[in-house]
This record gives sequence, C-alpha cells and structure tokens, in this order.
Amino acid sequence: MTSTAQGVASGAPISKRPSVQADPMTLTTLARLSLRLLWRDWQGGELRLLFLALVMAVTSVTGIALFTDRLEQALLSESANMLAADRVLSGRDEAPAEWIEEARRRNLETAQTLAFGSMVFSDSGNVLVSAKAVSDAYPLRGQMIVADRPFGQGAPIAGGPAAGEVWVESRVMPALGVEVGDSVFVGNAELTITKVIITEPDRQQGGMMDNAGPRLMLNTADVPATAVIQVGSRVSYRYLFAGDGDDLEGYAQWLDSRTNGEFRLRDVRDESAEVADALNKAESFLLLGSLFAVLLAGVAIALTARRYSERHFDYVAILKTLGCTSGQIMSLYMSIQVVLVLVSIVLGSILGWGIHALILRALSAVISVNLPPAGFTPYVIGSMTAIICLLSFALPPLLALRKTSPLRVLRKDLDDNTLSAKLPYGIGLAGSLVLILWYSQDLLLTSILVLTVLGVVALLSGLSWLLLRSSTSVGMKAGSAWKLAMSATRRRRKQNVLQVLVFSLTIMSLLILTLLRTDLIRDWQAQLPENTPNHFLMNVTQSQVAGIEEFFRSNGVEPNQFFPMMSAGVTRINGETPQLRGSDENEQSNLTERSAGSEEPEVAAEEDEGDGAPQRVSTRQITWTSRLPNDNQIVAGTWWGDNPTPGFVSLDQDYADRLNAKLGDVIEFDVGQGQLREATVQSLRSVRWDNMQPNFFIIFSPGSLDDLGGTYLSTALMEQEQKALINGLLRLYPTIVVIEIDALIEQIQNIIAQVTSAIELIAFLVLACGSLVLLACVTATLDERFRENAILRTLGAGRRLILTSLLIEFASIGLIAGIIATLGAEGSLYYLQREVFQQEFALHYWVWIAGPLLGMVVIGLLGVMATRRVVNTSPLTVLRHIG
Amino acid sequence: MIKIENLTKRVQTSEGELVILKGVSLAVNKAETVAIVGASGSGKSTLLGLMAGLDTSSSGDVILDGHRLSELDEEQRAMLRGQLVGFVFQSFQLLPSLTALENVMLPIELKNDERAREKATLLLERVGLGERSHHYPNQLSGGEQQRVAIARAFASEAQILFADEPTGNLDSATGSKVIELLFSLNKEYATTLVLVTHDERLAKQCHRTVRLVAGEIVSDEVNAETAPQAALEGAAHD
Repeated sequence: MTSTAQGVASGAPISKRPSVQADPMTLTTLARLSLRLLWRDWQGGELRLLFLALVMAVTSVTGIALFTDRLEQALLSESANMLAADRVLSGRDEAPAEWIEEARRRNLETAQTLAFGSMVFSDSGNVLVSAKAVSDAYPLRGQMIVADRPFGQGAPIAGGPAAGEVWVESRVMPALGVEVGDSVFVGNAELTITKVIITEPDRQQGGMMDNAGPRLMLNTADVPATAVIQVGSRVSYRYLFAGDGDDLEGYAQWLDSRTNGEFRLRDVRDESAEVADALNKAESFLLLGSLFAVLLAGVAIALTARRYSERHFDYVAILKTLGCTSGQIMSLYMSIQVVLVLVSIVLGSILGWGIHALILRALSAVISVNLPPAGFTPYVIGSMTAIICLLSFALPPLLALRKTSPLRVLRKDLDDNTLSAKLPYGIGLAGSLVLILWYSQDLLLTSILVLTVLGVVALLSGLSWLLLRSSTSVGMKAGSAWKLAMSATRRRRKQNVLQVLVFSLTIMSLLILTLLRTDLIRDWQAQLPENTPNHFLMNVTQSQVAGIEEFFRSNGVEPNQFFPMMSAGVTRINGETPQLRGSDENEQSNLTERSAGSEEPEVAAEEDEGDGAPQRVSTRQITWTSRLPNDNQIVAGTWWGDNPTPGFVSLDQDYADRLNAKLGDVIEFDVGQGQLREATVQSLRSVRWDNMQPNFFIIFSPGSLDDLGGTYLSTALMEQEQKALINGLLRLYPTIVVIEIDALIEQIQNIIAQVTSAIELIAFLVLACGSLVLLACVTATLDERFRENAILRTLGAGRRLILTSLLIEFASIGLIAGIIATLGAEGSLYYLQREVFQQEFALHYWVWIAGPLLGMVVIGLLGVMATRRVVNTSPLTVLRHIG
Repeated sequence: MIKIENLTKRVQTSEGELVILKGVSLAVNKAETVAIVGASGSGKSTLLGLMAGLDTSSSGDVILDGHRLSELDEEQRAMLRGQLVGFVFQSFQLLPSLTALENVMLPIELKNDERAREKATLLLERVGLGERSHHYPNQLSGGEQQRVAIARAFASEAQILFADEPTGNLDSATGSKVIELLFSLNKEYATTLVLVTHDERLAKQCHRTVRLVAGEIVSDEVNAETAPQAALEGAAHD
C-alpha cells in the first residue's frame, strides 16, 4: 500500500507553454462588480463616512466660494455706491473728450459731475454751498435718497435733478428761508428747488470742495447759464464709469499712459482706506476659513479612505485568489472612487449652493443690493477639491491595497491589519499644497498655513518620541478604568499620535478662526464706536474756538479737542535732501488729509536750479498739541510732558520710515509763507488711521509754530435731530466749514456688519468640517476597540469600567491635542495677525485654559459617543463578526 | 497536473533565517486527490500557498498545468489562478458584503460569463443552499458558509482545487457533511484536489497522503481504499 514519496505520479514533461492570459474584465462586468461593491459598502456603512467627507469638502468649499464670490460682488457693489460708480477719474480740468469716447467704446457707462463752491441767493438770504452739477446718467451706482420737505422721510429716486431744477440739503432751506418749489439763484441762473437731498451716494468723495457747506445739486446743462465757472475757478471734475470688470480694467490700462499725473482713476479701495481695510481683512478671513475647510476635509478624506482600505485587505486577497489581477483590482476600486466623487460633486454642489443661499438669506437685511448670479468658478473649485483630495489622500491607501498578498487568505498574520505609516502621504501633502495655493493664489497665507501644520507635526513628533521612550505597558491593566485607559493609550501609541495630530489640527483651525474673528470684530467695533463724531469742523480761527465750544455746550453737544492745523512739507533731514522710500500707494489714506483736500501727489526732492532752495516734499497737514491724541501710541522716544519745549516733533512711525527719519534727527519744514522751521524728532507714534478722527503724520510740540497762526480742526457728534444746529453755527461763524461724515460712517458700519455676519457663518461651516474630522478620526480606531472590548467584556469587565476607561483615554488625547492646538494657534496667529491682518498681536490668555479644556471635553465626549456602540453591542456579535 | 521540484522556502525572522520548506518535490496527477498532513508549523499551509501560486518560493519550482510559476509574475499567477485554481479555506473567506449567491457568482463573473447567476444558483442548490442564496455570510452558520465556499470553488470550473483545513472551524458532524459534499463534487467535476489537514480521517478519504515534518516530506502513501487502480499499480511498480 505504501510507496516512496517521489515519482508516484510524475506529470508529463513540461512541453507545453500555453500563454497565461486573463480575459480582460469587460466594462459590464467591471461596472456590475463596482456598483455591487459600492452599494454593499454603502449599506454596510463603510463608505458613508468617506462619502460624507467628500460631500462635506465639496459643500463647504463650493458654498464658501459661492458666498465669497457673491459677497465680494455685494460689498463691491455696496462700496461702489460710495463712488456712485465703479471707477472715478478726477482732476482739476476737464478731461479730453476722446477719453470719455473711449470709455463708451469699451461698453462702459459714463456720467460726469463738477463740484465747486458757490454762493446761493434767495429773496431772503444767501448761503455758501458746495455745488455739484451732475449729468443725466448720474448716479451710475447707488441711488439718491430725496424727500419733499426738509428733514423729511427720504425715498430713493432714479437720476439727479433735471435741467432747470436744483436739489438741496435740508439745512439750506431754513438758511435761505425757502420751501420746495421756490426759486434760488446760483450765479446768474434762476433754478427751482424740486427735492430735498437726504443722502447722495458719493457725498464724501473728493476734498473740501465737495464737502464744504451744504449740498446743492444741479444739472450740468445749467452750468453755463450760472456763469460761475470762469478761467481759474477751482472746480473738481469727476468722470464716473461703470461696467464689466474686464472692460474697466482694460480702460484703466488704456488710460494709464495718458493721464500724466493730472488725473487719477480710482476705485473704492483707493478712495476709502476704512472700507478697503475692512474688505481686505474680510476677504483674507473668508479665504483662510475656506483653506481650513479644504484642509480639514482633506484630513477627513485621508482618514476615512485609510479605514476603508484597511477593511478591504481581506477582500482584495480573496479577489486575488479568485484570479483578479492588480490592474483589475485597481480598476474596480478606482471606478468606485469615480462614482463616489461624481455623486459627491453633484450633491456637494447642490448643498453648497443651498448653504450659500441660506447665508445670503440670513444676511438679506444687510445685503440689500440685488446680486448678479455667481459664476461657474466656485463649482469648479469645489469639484477640484474633491478630485484632488481623493487623488492625494485616498490614492495612497488604495495603491497599498493593490499590493496585498493573496497569501493573506491563508496567513492572517502576514500583513499587519493596519496600513504602514510609510504610505506615500507625500502625495497627499503635495496635492493639498497645490490645491491650497491654487485656491488662495496667496503665497503668504499658504506659507503661514503650511508652516503652522509643519510646526504642529514637529511638536507632536517630539512629544511622541517622549511617549515612546516611556516604559512599555505589560498587559491590559484592566484593574481600574484609569490604568486600563493608560495602558490602552500606550498600546495604541502610533495611532494615538496620528489622532492627536488630527485633533490638534482641527482644534487649532477652530481656535485660529475664533480668535481672529473675535479680534477682527473687536477692532472694527473699536474703529467706529457708537459715539464716533460724525462732523468735522474746519477753517476755524483761534478766536472762534471758545465761542464754538460755548455754542455746542449750550445746545447739548459735547465739544471735542481743537487741533491747530496747517500744511507743511519736509525740505531737509539733518541738512540733507530727504529720499522718500516706497510709494504713496502703500500709505494709509487719511480722512484729515482728504477732508482738507491736500491729496496732491508727493514729488521727489529736487534741488531747484534757480535759487537753490529745496522743494518741499511729502506735504502733510500738521498740528501741535500738548495732549497725545486718542488712538495714538508712542512706539519710540517719549511724548512731551506737561511743560513741552518748542522745537520738537513727533512723527507717525510709517511716515518716519518713508522719510528715512529716526529719533534725534533734525528735520527742516517749509511751513508756508516762505518760512522754514527746524524740529528734532522726539517720538514716533503708531496712529489708528481708520478711526475717522483727526489724525496727523506730524505733530509739533506746543510753542513751535504758534506765531504762524493757522486754522483749527475739530469734530462733533450731532444726531440727526441736531442737524439744524449747523445752520445756527454757520450763521454765527460763516467762515467755518462743517463736513458731514455721518453717511460715510453709516456706510462703513453697514459693510462691517455684513462682513461680521459673513465671517461668523464661515467659522460655523469650518466648525462643521472640524466635527466631521473628529468623528472620522474616532471612528478610525473603532474596529480594534470593538475587538479588544468584546474580549474584555467576555472576560467579565463591566460596561462602566470600559466606558470610563474610554472617556479617560479620549479625554487624555484631547487634552494633549488641546495644548498643541493652542500652541499652534497662537504661533500662527502671531504671523497671521501681523502679516495678513495688520493687527497687533497679543497672547490670548484665556485660550491657554480654554484650548486644552475644550480638547479634553469635546474629544472625551465625542470619543465616548462614537464608541459607545462598542459596549452596547453584545460581545458574541462582535466576536462572530470579526471572526 | 502539478509538479513540484526541489521547493525551498526561507523567511527572515528577528531570530535569523527560518527554513520552512526544505527541497520538497512532489507530483500530483490530474483528478487525483492528495492530502498533505503534518503538525502545526510543519510547513503544509506554506506548501499549499506555493503550489497555488499565492506566494513565491526561495528556490525550486512549481509547475501548474505546464506553467512554471517561477517564470510568472504576480499578475500572471493571478490570471492562472483565475483559469485553473479554486480554493476552500478554513475560515471560509467569503466576501461579507456579498450574498451567498453573489459570492458564488463572483468567479464566474470574473470570467465574463453571462450565465453567472444561472450557474451559481444551480451550484447553491447542489450544495443544499438554494433557499438561502440571498443571505449574507454573517447570517449563515459555519457549515453553511463552508458550503457556499465550496460552491464558489467549483463555480470557476477550476481544474485544481486547493483546500486548507476545510473542516478546521466546523464541528465533526458538520465537517463530515462538508467533506462528503466536497468529495462528491470533486468526483463529479473530475477536479484535482490538494487538501491540507491534520485530520487523519479526512486524509484517508484522499487517494494519497503526503506527510510533512519540519518542512520535509517524510512519507507519501497511496490509500488503497480510495485510490484508483492505476495509482495503486504505479505505487506497486515503485
């Protein structure tokens, strides 16, 4: 019966070598298998989290991009109201007709305004007005609000006054003793008052010419009849343009070489530092918010894809034993991913649209303008996010799947059940970097973000190194919940390091956005507090100061500080001709300068060939005072005390940098009237330029310039019902100029309210993304926990012991993550606030408590909630399921 | 059908090189049933893995239906498995997210056979699970799962069937039924069967029993009760 081993049934010699060819999987088979696998994985819940992460990525990015796109349009549109146009060309002379023709040829709408000071007469009085003649198309953006009686309830109206009509501001009426329907004389022309102006879109634009005295608006057709504009008259010409962004840009380029410095083409960002600042910061915030959304969605996708792959190792091994090639397996899984990503894109785009519509609806009270529909770009951005995230984060684990050995079906111990830490996540990092850079188009923001993430990784590496060095745990230590938790934490060291990294990044993102949001809103509120003065008083002589203060007090208005003011230019610094650094464009636009109308471009210092006298450069409005103005801080040197010595000067820090002047330098100023004065730089100040208060680049010590006279500048807060006081004030002091900036303040507050709501909603969206990441991360270790805890429970461990141990384990991880997140958040805020948001950085002490606490509580609770299934499922079910 | 030439498998462990198989040679004829027996760690599962092309040897070769496995890469070996080989595993290895029917359909579908459902249904009925074809593996008992696995193994119309401890996870009564089914189908389909087991009773049902000790074949016996006459004569001549 027995025989030797060899040769019992030796096969035929190897003569045949049939080719080994698999029938390529047909498209139908592939589609059928993929869909079946997809559907079953979906039913089994394995794909849901990955799908959710993808949908979340598309939703948040599309939603934010759509919202940002339309908010930008809303803000620009709202801001354009401040110009009554998209772009304005201004100059002291009429612009050549061909310039306007060119604008029309480029499909731009055009309108024209002329501003000039003029006396207006009625039968019973006269008043100096700031007259503005407007063409029929005015305003191109925004609307005039007019009433039928002075100080009445206004209603919007299309266009401006027709020929033969004038519209005037309320306080003109009592000053002239006239009613609507009466006639007044502007120069030689007799015109009829038909409306009372409540607000006009571009009321605050231009210099003193536009703002000195109440407004009288007439039609440009009537200007020749008035005969007030003669050769040499001071007239401000403004040409308004509106149209498509590309057309405007093209026109701006065309015009650039032709204006010769005599005309300036501006948009709202050039016109208003306050609005530009709010817009830029809001844009940066929105961008940062969406970058975090992309980052977090990417992390969620990476985690869920990894878990998905891990759960498919056995699957692939079985498929391989059944004859599936790596190529077929890749086709199978890739087609699942394609279906997944396509469905995510469609669903995410719809949800993203819905979210942005919801946000817009919530903001309908503040965003009152009709928005043009959003473009296609946000959907492309959302879709690309899903594709790039999936390719860069999900591909590495899927590629690893392909390499699964079929031998795994025989020997489970062959492959570790988890993926190697050496997965090519470089692809993921590179992919997200490209995505973020492409999306933001902002190297600075991207660099800060990348550096922050790298910083957190470095910090964590150090920490995990310390943890790994600690003694290894022997056994489960299931005696107490605390010991059990600690041994579990140590046992899952590698996974825990990954979890801490993910939790840290998530909490850090949320902390950064929350802190930035709080600081931005606080800054904006501080910029324009409730009692911000809404009127500037200019051209006040020294002898009028006491009388005006008395007038205000007797009428219930608190008078503010009066600043002496005059125009001065720097001629020499330490005897040398000053060399200006940088350009004027980077310097903050200043309401004081704008109001005073001294916006002429700076000129480089040149020796005059004629008399050798240096030209004055960098002309500014200067003042002298013993009291440091509000919102000014000394950053170098000292402020003069109670007994100041004449001959010293304090400079705005940035202005000093531009002049290349430092403490102790002796600066020579041309203060007009042929007078030169020297002063030593005693201090440098930081000035809050956007607070709508009198601010000065140059402040002299009292006594330095007192002999030169000059006029005074002050501010006053007058409510709407106190407006008529201005008439009384002007009757008493006809030479002073009152500039009303309440409309501007209201517009800025409106814009700030919009961006505040917007950033809060974005912060909320990112919070939702963050929660998903946390959930994905906790779920990632679920399988192992199921197995371990089923065994523990089989061996008699109580639910309470396991639940408490889970709580302690997650809370400890959360605490560490919270500490790292706080460090990371403060570190990146240091750069973000200084470099991107131009804010002062100060440590947020409460976060040092709140961050770790938040991590501990949120991760602890979330962990227990997500894993309570572990204790609620019977051990038998678990053991049977895991085999 | 299968020829093994001086097959050696070495692996590196933390304690140095471990030789799992030491120059094993063996030949299995078409339609023959061979049991590989041995204690745990004797190398029988490794041998099975190498014979099925699930792993590569350190030296020596396996020739499967005329194909030298050492000359094929993993992709080609997978294709060969798809064409030639079926498996039955101790832990069943059914895809948990597919129903019994879908599990059996899978190898047929991989061959782009349009009649996958029809063939799979017939096979499930043949193994007595026609009524449970739409159940998922975790809704089936161990014996039922193994019957599905057997149906799947025959579904691909494989010429060679490798079985790794097919009754290892089953009680003896269920195991007997499963084995009865396996051998009955094997006979019906005239498949070459290589079976790894430590169950001597099971081994006796095969034509031959190859015994492994520490990676070496120590005996190769023909079972007089089950072996076909030709095999017995071949053994006698030796």
